[in-house]
Amino acid sequence: MKKLINLTINDKEYEVAVEPNQTLTDVIRYDIGLTGTKKGCETGDCGSCTVIMDGKPVNSCLVLAMQAAGRNITTIEGLETEDGLDPVQEAFVEKGAVQCGFCTSGMILSAKTLLDRNPNPNEAEIRSAISGNLCRCTGYQKIVEAVESVNK
Amino acid sequence: MLLPKFDFHEPATIAEACQMMAEFGSEARLIAGGTDLMVNMKHKVISPNHVVSLSRIDDLKKLDLSDSTVKIGACFTVAEITESEEIGKKLSALRTGARALGSPLVRNRATIGGNLGTARPAADLPPSLMVYDAKVVLTKSSGEREVSLDSFFKGPGVTEIQPDEILTEIRVDVPPPHAGAGYINLGIRQAQDCNLVNVASYIALDGPDGTIQSARVVMGCVGPTHLRASSAEKLLIGEKPSDELFEKAGEAAMGDCTPIDDFRGSAQYKKAMVGVLTKRTLGIALKEAKDRG
Repeated sequence: MKKLINLTINDKEYEVAVEPNQTLTDVIRYDIGLTGTKKGCETGDCGSCTVIMDGKPVNSCLVLAMQAAGRNITTIEGLETEDGLDPVQEAFVEKGAVQCGFCTSGMILSAKTLLDRNPNPNEAEIRSAISGNLCRCTGYQKIVEAVESVNK
Repeated sequence: MLLPKFDFHEPATIAEACQMMAEFGSEARLIAGGTDLMVNMKHKVISPNHVVSLSRIDDLKKLDLSDSTVKIGACFTVAEITESEEIGKKLSALRTGARALGSPLVRNRATIGGNLGTARPAADLPPSLMVYDAKVVLTKSSGEREVSLDSFFKGPGVTEIQPDEILTEIRVDVPPPHAGAGYINLGIRQAQDCNLVNVASYIALDGPDGTIQSARVVMGCVGPTHLRASSAEKLLIGEKPSDELFEKAGEAAMGDCTPIDDFRGSAQYKKAMVGVLTKRTLGIALKEAKDRG
């Protein structure tokens, strides 16, 4: 049976009627209409569905929408401000860290959480922080360089 | 990938959750981080009629530290274990195991209770918890019982937890001075990988340069459940620690395990790696035992 839940996504309140078996990914994409959150493996292996929930990056494909009720969620669409792209997004563009783009949303959100906690991470810390996000273009080197360049 | 249909419940207290499990029994599955259950439900391996979420029960997220014991709520996340300096100081091998589990995204959701309750023979947290002689608290409406992890696992995916019970807490005695433990997991990749072999070892010395008073070695991925390497443990007790002794303990552990051939590796290879990892984790345990003296 559908139930009304409140979700805070990118600082905006949404009231959505969801089924118990809907994942957070599906609600974000199909009910809210924010398609920057991607569906890849859907089993928590690839990280393309990454969103930041209460300050922590998670696989939204493994979260039931009802479990996310009342939580604070940031998707890739939430990073851009009136001043333009987020510095992490800017760095990905500058360094050519975007190839097909499918992993990019997740990569950027994982990287952003790292940089918020540790503004000048070393290469090992960056690689570890994005280890749950797979890039099948295998463009990891450029991605690491982009993250390294953000606060330089 | 669609999830099967189920009713979803979010109790606010342990008592309320116990009532639900008593009512629904085996028709229900508990969900915490969902990193295992969600995958199994998507693959239609499990199709419960009811899913009972533990994520809104604050009592299950507590970490209770005293000088003698560490009590960890079942919904304490794996990421929180990696971030806890106190756990790192008191139970370093548990933190090593937590750091090895999944990926940052998975660790932010996965819980210690889930990693035990799902009873995967390759899981990262059971070996270190078992060498620390951890106990789990199983709670139901009429009361609770404490079960040693040694007798908790019954087979792949099968545990001592009854349908009306909830794993609510993990209790570990803080190791005495001159004791240490080590954990190593071997896999093809460093993240997002199922272990090929994992081993934890613990030794307690009777003094700074003393003999081994007690020893525990636990091996994963080489049997239907995590296994104690009893003959390795026997061989260590009463002896002075040395590389030769640890080498012999590794050889003994190889005889204590029962790996199978699968696509991850041959039984022979896994057995050989049990020997190597036993020796190396004993080395880590000894170093910590001396440092903690």
